[in-house]
Amino acid sequence: MQNVRARPSVGAQFRRILQDPILAVALVGSVIFVGLTIILPLLAMIGESVSTEGAVKFRDYLGSPVYQTIISNTLVMGVVVGAVGTLVGFLFAFVQVKLDVPFKRFMHVMALLPVISPPFAVATATIVLFGRSGMISRGIFGVRYDIYGLDGLTLALALSLFTVAYLNLKGMMEALDPALDEASANLGAGKLRTFFRVTLPMLIPGIASSFLLIFVESIADLGNPLVLGGNYEVLATRIYVSVIGLYDTTAAAVLSVILLVPSLTVFMVQRYWVSRASVVSVTGKPAGRPDTIKFAPVRWGLFGVVMFLCLLILLIYGTIFHGAFVNVPGVRNDFTLSHFDFVLNGIGAEAIQDTTLLSIVATPLAGLIGMVVAFLVVRKEFLGRQALDFGVMLGIAVPGTIIGIGYVLSFNGPITATLPILGEITLIPKLTGGQGLLGGALAIIIVYVIRSTPAALRTGAAALSQIDPAIEEASISLGADNARTFRRITLPLIRPAFLAGLIFAFARSMTTISAVVFLTTPQTKIMTQGILNEVENGRYGNAFAYCVILIGIVMVAIGIMYALVGSRTGAERRIEGGGQ
Amino acid sequence: MSNARLILRNLVKVFPARGGGGVLRAVDDVSLEIASGEFVTLLGPSGCGKTTTLRLIAGFELPSGGEILLDGGNVTNLPPNKRDMALVFQNYALFPHMSVADNVAYGLQTRGLPKAEIRRKVSDMLTSIGLHGLEERRPNQLSGGQQQRVALARCLVMEPRILLFDEPLSNLDAKLRVQMRAEIHGLQRRLGITSVYVTHDQIEAMALSDRIIVMNAGRIEQVGTPQEIYHLPRTRFVADFIGRANFLPATLLESSGETADVDILGQRMNVANSFQHGRGAALTAMIRPETIDLADDPSLPQVTVTQAMYLGSETEYVVNFGDHQLVVVDTSPRIGRFYAEGRQVGMALDPSSVHLLGAEA
Ligand SMILES: Nc1ncnc2c1ncn2[C@@H]1O[C@H](COP(=O)(O)OP(=O)(O)OP(=O)(O)O)[C@@H](O)[C@H]1O
Ligand SMILES: [Mg+2]
Repeated sequence: MQNVRARPSVGAQFRRILQDPILAVALVGSVIFVGLTIILPLLAMIGESVSTEGAVKFRDYLGSPVYQTIISNTLVMGVVVGAVGTLVGFLFAFVQVKLDVPFKRFMHVMALLPVISPPFAVATATIVLFGRSGMISRGIFGVRYDIYGLDGLTLALALSLFTVAYLNLKGMMEALDPALDEASANLGAGKLRTFFRVTLPMLIPGIASSFLLIFVESIADLGNPLVLGGNYEVLATRIYVSVIGLYDTTAAAVLSVILLVPSLTVFMVQRYWVSRASVVSVTGKPAGRPDTIKFAPVRWGLFGVVMFLCLLILLIYGTIFHGAFVNVPGVRNDFTLSHFDFVLNGIGAEAIQDTTLLSIVATPLAGLIGMVVAFLVVRKEFLGRQALDFGVMLGIAVPGTIIGIGYVLSFNGPITATLPILGEITLIPKLTGGQGLLGGALAIIIVYVIRSTPAALRTGAAALSQIDPAIEEASISLGADNARTFRRITLPLIRPAFLAGLIFAFARSMTTISAVVFLTTPQTKIMTQGILNEVENGRYGNAFAYCVILIGIVMVAIGIMYALVGSRTGAERRIEGGGQ
Repeated sequence: MSNARLILRNLVKVFPARGGGGVLRAVDDVSLEIASGEFVTLLGPSGCGKTTTLRLIAGFELPSGGEILLDGGNVTNLPPNKRDMALVFQNYALFPHMSVADNVAYGLQTRGLPKAEIRRKVSDMLTSIGLHGLEERRPNQLSGGQQQRVALARCLVMEPRILLFDEPLSNLDAKLRVQMRAEIHGLQRRLGITSVYVTHDQIEAMALSDRIIVMNAGRIEQVGTPQEIYHLPRTRFVADFIGRANFLPATLLESSGETADVDILGQRMNVANSFQHGRGAALTAMIRPETIDLADDPSLPQVTVTQAMYLGSETEYVVNFGDHQLVVVDTSPRIGRFYAEGRQVGMALDPSSVHLLGAEA
């Protein structure tokens, strides 16, 4: 008998991958990319926090009532926003899938709108509408409502973040085999009972998963608490103030580690436990159309609730739009173009150009890296496959402020190495700050890329796992190598996912603030930073003008991407092997 | 050096067993030589390692042990795209975003042939396989049989050194399956491409193959021509898996060279024998149901019919002889010849159709 191992040795697997140079480059490249752009800054940040000075601060903070309040504020906000956001997403999805009501298309669009909205936009509009002198609170109801705090944050964050729950749950509800419902209905269970006994239990993993994702995103959010927090301080804002106001990066690093703990814990629970537990029977061939609920009180009651939420969203975006064209939104409502004049002819023009340009550079990179890593992770066997996936996902699991601080700490000077003969050489030049490479632009591009790649990776991986691997094997069997197979077969087949990845990457890059707020330089200005300045100075009109322009750019870009990458024929969506 | 085209030498593939520790030997010490132009079939029950063996040959799996030689060269560690083999997949695995013509041209483009040559080859191939006129269709606009033809054409046009098939007909309905079977048979004979074909359908295997390799639990049970496998199975497993068989105890009475006198159900008969056992040895007689005759003849040993099923082109009986139950098939039923359940009837065994197996086989 021969000497036989349970699997081809790791060595043999690697040799196999290395035989294909392009595959090897992709693998090694991905690993280096993750190591340099995510792991290194994270380690630098953690290193700073456990320095002697950091250790002292750790003890101080965890023992101080002020910081204990901040920590509990953060967690409470995460839980409340997670719950409300999931509920809103659930209602939208339910109405979309299970009810036969008018305006479904409109509701769908309203649910997607928050993806392209800049930070501060919703928060600022909320103040204009519901604040102390709000158009609605004061103007209609005549109360001086104090929207600042947890209530305002919940409203703004839930309406900004519920899209992920909506898409998640809508997908699950559509995939639930209607035969299940029917089977239960045939057994005599009423529609509502079917819902509570059959449908809801199967959606639990999706609901849990949505809750956790929104939790992670909300505690990482910087823009909303900065504008709407008032006295309700959370970790993200405290970190921001530590860096921008107090120039104390050690304090920021310590607070970041404290914020990192719940973020990463919840992220890992979501990713490796809850999402595993989904038992949705995606048969690929639904046995019929999902049955709609006819019971009028439920039907029209839910319709009313969701319609109300849609109108609220519409009102908020209307306020942004309206506010961009009037003197002082909510106070002096006479038409003016002065805000646009300020933005387009002042410092804003530069920011618009820079942000758009950097996003244009980052978008295809993020899309492509996401698809390549998805390909490696879903299709190839190698040691560290899960680690690579996790490393890329860290780009979004780690709150943006923390990434930003990590970059400042890692790349604020050149990284050098002393070699025996060559002496000191520069491995990575200074990236951040005014003297950084390309005026600090490279650091911003990289941050855009790592923040957007995770979404591209997930959509890519989901699409890939729907495609029979035999199709790619057929290509290889016909003599094509991995690179050609990827280009000619895989990429065209996952084109819808690729497009979604691109759109998301561009929207995310254009609208991100937390990760780049510490990285803007006099040479490289960022629109969201500009918006923040205007909001902080109470010039809401200018901020709204920025937002309108930003939304406009994102919409135009989406149109262009559809034209360039969009699916030409419906047939291409059919990704099963023979298409039978 | 043997002049075999493909040689598998002590191939082993071990997977970690599903659920829990331990390992599963999906392919267990498989050795095989396949001559140029030969059509061999890997036949066996589900999970016996047929697909894994095929994927090892194709290069999609790396063996845990052993080696693979193609025309004398060691290809064990060569990636699949460098092996000059083409694999026809069970579910066709056509490229859904490409037209029929592009599917067929794909491999040739990969080889970098000139455009005109590709066009000519694709067109010839599509014509010869009956897909002329469907060049611009997408795979999802084709019937199952047409899709299978495209999958075949895509491989044949490459003129690979080895053509591999993994249950290519299992997704087709029965009628189409028979038709495609004949077509594959014709094409392969005409083109003379060395082929390894995986199936668990014994009829398909017998219809197509020069040689059949019967596999069981990762191991080769027997290699032989369809006739050898059917009439001279080496083990009870093979006899059972291919067609139906009756197994009766046989006692060796007298052996002389190629034949032996044995006692089967109290009858003495002279049958072919390759065993070296001495007198009194216990063996097993394998008798195919269609080689047994039933007749109203009182001089024959009498059996009781316990089940009789008339199927048109044949009649199937289950009969009892003492404690033994046998299946008998009348392959040419005549009008009026039908032995109803409960009847007594004479049974004639044909000594030349008795095949001896070891007692434990
Ligand atoms: N990637 C894998 N990991 C673990 N076990 C595997 C893997 N592939 C196959 N096996 C196992 O190896 C054994 C042989 O599988 P294989 O697919 O070769 O069988 P098969 O003869 O082709 O069966 P079928 O007729 O059902 O296609 C099975 O027990 C199967 O579960
Ligand atoms: Mg198989």
